[in-house]
Amino acid sequence: MLRYTAVRTVWILVILVTILSMNFVILQSAPEYPPPTPDDRDMYYDRQVADGYFTVRVERDEEIVRAINESDDSVYVRSERNYYQRNPRTGPVEFYRIYEPVPIATQYVRWVGNIVTEWNWGYSTRVAPNVPVFEVLMSRIPITMQLNLLALFFYIPIGFALGIVAALRKDGVVDNLVTLFVMIFISIPSFVVMLFLVLIFGYQLEWLPTQFPTADAVGMVRFTGLILPVLGLAFQPIASLTRVTRAELTEVLTSEFLLLARTKGLTRPQSIVRHAMRNSMVPLVPGIIFSFVGLLSGSVIIETIYGIPGTGRVFIRAMALNNYDYNLILGTTAFYTIIGLFAVLLVDLSYGIVDPRIRMGAKK
Amino acid sequence: MRLYDDVKKDYDSLDKASFEPIEKDKKIYDKKFETKPIGYFKDAMIRFSRNRTNVVASVILIILILLAVFVPVLTTKNYTQQQTQLAHLPPRVPIISRLGFMDGTATVAAQTINPDNYNEEFDVFYPDNYFPEYILWETVENYYDSCSRISEICVGGEVVLRLQSRAATDMTITARNTFTVASTTGIAVNIDVVDVIGNANTELEVILETGGNEYVIGTITSSGTHSFNPFDNEDLPDSAFTSYRIKLRMFAENTDARFILSSVSVTDDALDDPIVEHSGFALANYQVSATGLINRQNAEIMRANFKYLAYESALREARATLSSTDYYDIMEEYPDECLWDPDEGVGGMPNPDATSVHARLFPEECPIIRTTGRSSLLPDPRNPGEFVYDYFVVIDYKRALGFDETPYFFFGTTNAGHDLFALTWVALRTSLLIGLVVAVINITVGIIYGSISGYYGGKIDLLMERFSEVISRIPWLVLLSIFYALIGPGALTLILILIVSGWIGVASVTRTQFYRYKGREYVLASRTLGAKDSRLIFRHILPNGIGTIITASVLMIPGVIFTEAALSYLGFGIGHGQSFKLFGLLELSGVSIGVLLADGRNEMIDKPYLTLFPAIIISILMITFNMFGNALRDAFNPSLRGSE
Repeated sequence: MLRYTAVRTVWILVILVTILSMNFVILQSAPEYPPPTPDDRDMYYDRQVADGYFTVRVERDEEIVRAINESDDSVYVRSERNYYQRNPRTGPVEFYRIYEPVPIATQYVRWVGNIVTEWNWGYSTRVAPNVPVFEVLMSRIPITMQLNLLALFFYIPIGFALGIVAALRKDGVVDNLVTLFVMIFISIPSFVVMLFLVLIFGYQLEWLPTQFPTADAVGMVRFTGLILPVLGLAFQPIASLTRVTRAELTEVLTSEFLLLARTKGLTRPQSIVRHAMRNSMVPLVPGIIFSFVGLLSGSVIIETIYGIPGTGRVFIRAMALNNYDYNLILGTTAFYTIIGLFAVLLVDLSYGIVDPRIRMGAKK
Repeated sequence: MRLYDDVKKDYDSLDKASFEPIEKDKKIYDKKFETKPIGYFKDAMIRFSRNRTNVVASVILIILILLAVFVPVLTTKNYTQQQTQLAHLPPRVPIISRLGFMDGTATVAAQTINPDNYNEEFDVFYPDNYFPEYILWETVENYYDSCSRISEICVGGEVVLRLQSRAATDMTITARNTFTVASTTGIAVNIDVVDVIGNANTELEVILETGGNEYVIGTITSSGTHSFNPFDNEDLPDSAFTSYRIKLRMFAENTDARFILSSVSVTDDALDDPIVEHSGFALANYQVSATGLINRQNAEIMRANFKYLAYESALREARATLSSTDYYDIMEEYPDECLWDPDEGVGGMPNPDATSVHARLFPEECPIIRTTGRSSLLPDPRNPGEFVYDYFVVIDYKRALGFDETPYFFFGTTNAGHDLFALTWVALRTSLLIGLVVAVINITVGIIYGSISGYYGGKIDLLMERFSEVISRIPWLVLLSIFYALIGPGALTLILILIVSGWIGVASVTRTQFYRYKGREYVLASRTLGAKDSRLIFRHILPNGIGTIITASVLMIPGVIFTEAALSYLGFGIGHGQSFKLFGLLELSGVSIGVLLADGRNEMIDKPYLTLFPAIIISILMITFNMFGNALRDAFNPSLRGSE
């Protein structure tokens, strides 16, 4: 068990590093989009130098200075990833500070170093110029987590209950209704469900807000503003949890050990609660852990529809066309990747805990 | 339970002679089957058709696909050209329209009214840009909404004075108009102060200005109504023809200080009405010195909700100004109906320059009913140096747009005047084609990858499994950011994102099938006969596992459509105006269901149909596709029924 845990953990770390490195290298080789205003840009490049991604030198060679003076795009040449700062910014000058990126391999080493030693994920360039990416994310994570955890705690009991009811009344009217519900909501994309919800409860009936309330909203609005996104997030997980619960429970209910439990004198409720439910839980736990990852990535689009200032929305903003904020993209994707892979690890390990019959990695 | 002893009596009582041993003299083991043999696929087909619900779902799915194929080809309505005249039409469906909904009346919500537009009969105001003759008056509702603009359409409320910057110590607001008084007795200047925020040094000086000089008549430091007799200040000139102007000057120490005023008035005891009464907009409209700011709060604006005959309005007969291009486009389109003779040119019949009304009338079938003249020669924007006329006409939009009678747009029209019904099917076609293409690529890659991995096993399998695990663990956000930054938005990015990890499901199913069949005796037999690996893979193992693989592949298409819709909705997929070719064969428009949903996003208040219909169609598609896929899986592999 210990060896298995260690092997899985290392393997997950390898995957994590692979994905993040690939993302870093590819994004760094794309055209750069520094902060838009000159002041922010100067600050940003000085920090890039301090973090070791750029070098700076002063160019006094008259010919080069004249060439830069005469070129149209003298402030910043994007294609060559060089940055010329004009000193001062108005009028022709005698010298330029020239910022040049170090090779990507070196950048990569420094990047890993910065993260490991200082937890420095770089600075945002466009969404919030020169604010550390980690700070931007930390201001967004609570709202996303709040939403997703609410959805999680909302959907699990309902999913279980529906699944259990359907399995116990198999092929009855209730079961058919639940199956229909499952088929519908497992198929419709969550953002379409969200659109329907906003359309019906927000615009037509006007019961609930059509946009997420702003941070300074008080009273009931704070609560009512959460209802629609939680519902939008929860419908699909409810449907899939119901389906799996129903399938597992049906299988267990027809098994022989349950018949034995009945014959030794347990009542039907007793046998179901003590034997059937317990055994049908085994495959459900990993499903629930994975569903949280599904919720998180689904909430990106829900946040965009409902204007929720969470990590998903900040990612979409960082991805605005020709306004890319690479450091923020890297940070956000790292957040989602870490959570996703952590869930995988948790699932791998949970098999052994939930069902002791499964000895992970044990020799046969 | 019946015991043998009970039954034995019955058996014993039977006549022994009526029994005959069947195997006495014939061999049944060589007998031919009388029924036809049922193959794997036929067996699956029988099982498939036994489940009614799934058959219904499959039929609906087929209808959707047929509609997506044929509607864009057969429709007479326009879904490619921009036609602003037809924009924003609500749904109108024959038969159903008689029930009172989907009848072509638009629901107009929260439009700001123009105070000049007043209907006396129903006592309501209505906004600009809507023709009164097409408004359904009994549905008009006026209501007040909050408003903070400094504009005449906002009424009531208070104004807030505050300093512009920390450097300022005072600010002044000045009335736009002056007033005169008839006598100097009984005059009062009244200031209604709602609230004062600030310290003891926050004060408001009330000043009358005349002849360029300022005379302070009072100072306010607290809230409440304050009245001042201006002539208590003996310096104030009081000749009968002096005109005065009210000025208010606020002194404060910081930008947090506020003076909130609701009205300024000047009264004369001898008169019933005040000489000056400034509140609401009039007060907010005071001239402000550069050191201060004036804001409005608690003001109200009147808005209107109503129903509007959108079709009649769009297809009305109306005066219009046509550019020469538009004018001659119509002439060339209807040469016979309009009796237009190209050789005669401008001077032809009917003649815009003609003086008699009769000569200006067009024949009855012509979209243009009559001309009312034309402009002087204007420079031609398209051909510099040339000059053209603009034509003033009365046009019948219905005929000009080519309709004999009021058309039915089942799902309404978009902002560009496209028929949403046709457009939805075009979008569905695009979505389906992308789904199909991506699925074909994924299935091909997946089958090849899974076959190799499953057939060879061992180290190769281990390595390939690890590789596919890494790929499958990449979150879609990472894929999106990488391809988006490298390639930019568009169909290629979309397809790449869908392909990168899409094949893994098929690969793992294929791999499992290979593990299941590669050890069977018939494979071993074939191998001993000298069959090559490729023959074993493609002729012996793959065909046996194909049912499961097909099922996994069919279930992939809705998944691809879903991802495509989500990405296009977020703006990372395809978009309007794009058209792209797949392998030089299929030309796809840039409209998919996700794009349509994104278009409707900002207009959910008054044009819910722009979102509703595409959403319903994609929902039906996904539900039926999943049911079809599940039914297929149950049919091919009955042991999996009921599980995922």
